Amino acid sequence: MRQRTPSEDSRERWDFESQAMPFVDSLYNTAYRMTRNVQDAEDLVQEAYLKAYKYYEKFEEGTNFKAWLFKIMKNTFINNYRKRQQAPPQSDFSEIEDAFESQVSEEVTRQIKSPEEELLENVLDEDVQRALDTLPDDYRMAVILADLESFSYKEIAEILEVPVGTVMSRLYRGRKMLEQAMLGYAREHGYIRSGDEPAKMRSRKAGSDNAGSEG
Amino acid sequence: MRCHRVRKIMFLVIDGEAEQEILVSVEQHLVQCPGCAQELEYARRFVAVLRERCRRASAPDQLRERILHKLRQSGLGGES
Repeated sequence: MRQRTPSEDSRERWDFESQAMPFVDSLYNTAYRMTRNVQDAEDLVQEAYLKAYKYYEKFEEGTNFKAWLFKIMKNTFINNYRKRQQAPPQSDFSEIEDAFESQVSEEVTRQIKSPEEELLENVLDEDVQRALDTLPDDYRMAVILADLESFSYKEIAEILEVPVGTVMSRLYRGRKMLEQAMLGYAREHGYIRSGDEPAKMRSRKAGSDNAGSEG
Repeated sequence: MRCHRVRKIMFLVIDGEAEQEILVSVEQHLVQCPGCAQELEYARRFVAVLRERCRRASAPDQLRERILHKLRQSGLGGES
C-alpha cells in the first residue's frame, strides 16, 4: 500500500470522526445493555471505533454507515466479551426456526387477561431493564437493535449477519421471554396478583375457539 | 389468513415491516377473530411500553475524548 501523507491521514480522520462520532451514544447504549457493565461498555465502544477506523477504507460509500459500525461492535463483543462469559456456541438457524414455529402454535390459543393488562399499566422501569438483562445474548441484541435503536429488520439482519427470518424469530421469542420475565417480577413485587397463573396455562374463552380451529 | 400465520407475523405488522398486501389480509382476519385482534393490540402496547420504559444510557464525555485521542494516535489502514 502507498504510504499516506500526514495531510491525507488527517483528512481521512476528520471524515471518519464526523461520520462516526454522532453514533457514540447509540453504540454506548447498546454496549452497556450487552455487557451490563459501564467499564466493559466503554472499552467495547472504544475498541469498535478503533477497529472501524482501521478498516474505514473497506467501508463502501453509500451503504449504511451506522449499521456497519454496529456490525463491527457486534463482532468485537462476540470475540472479546462473549468468550469470557463462556456462552454457548452460535445457534443453529433451523433450530431457531423450529422453536419459533412451535412457540407460535403454543401461544395461538392464549387469551390476554388481567395480569397482562395490569403488567402494562403498572410495570416498573427497573423490571423492564432487569428482564432485558436476563435475555440470552442473541435475543437481547435483536431486541435492543429493534426497540432501543429503531433499526429495520433488514439492518438488524446486516448487523447480526443472519437471515431476516432469523431476526423475525429472535424478536418474537425475545419479546415473549421479556414478557414472561416481566410477569414474574410483577408477581414478585405484588403489582399483579401472585395467584394468577401464566397466560398460556389458563383456559380458553370466547374468541380463542376461532383461533384454535383456524390456527 | 389463519391464526397461526397472523401470530407469527404480528410483530412485523407492529414494527411496520409488513407489506401492504399482508396488512390487508391481517386486517381481514382481525375483523373475524377477536382472539387475534386482542393479541395483536396487546403486543402493540407491550412493544410501546418496552420502548418507552427502557432507559437509554448516554456515553460519558470522557469516553468521547478518549476515543478521539486514540484515533489521533493511530494511523489509518495500517495493517489492511
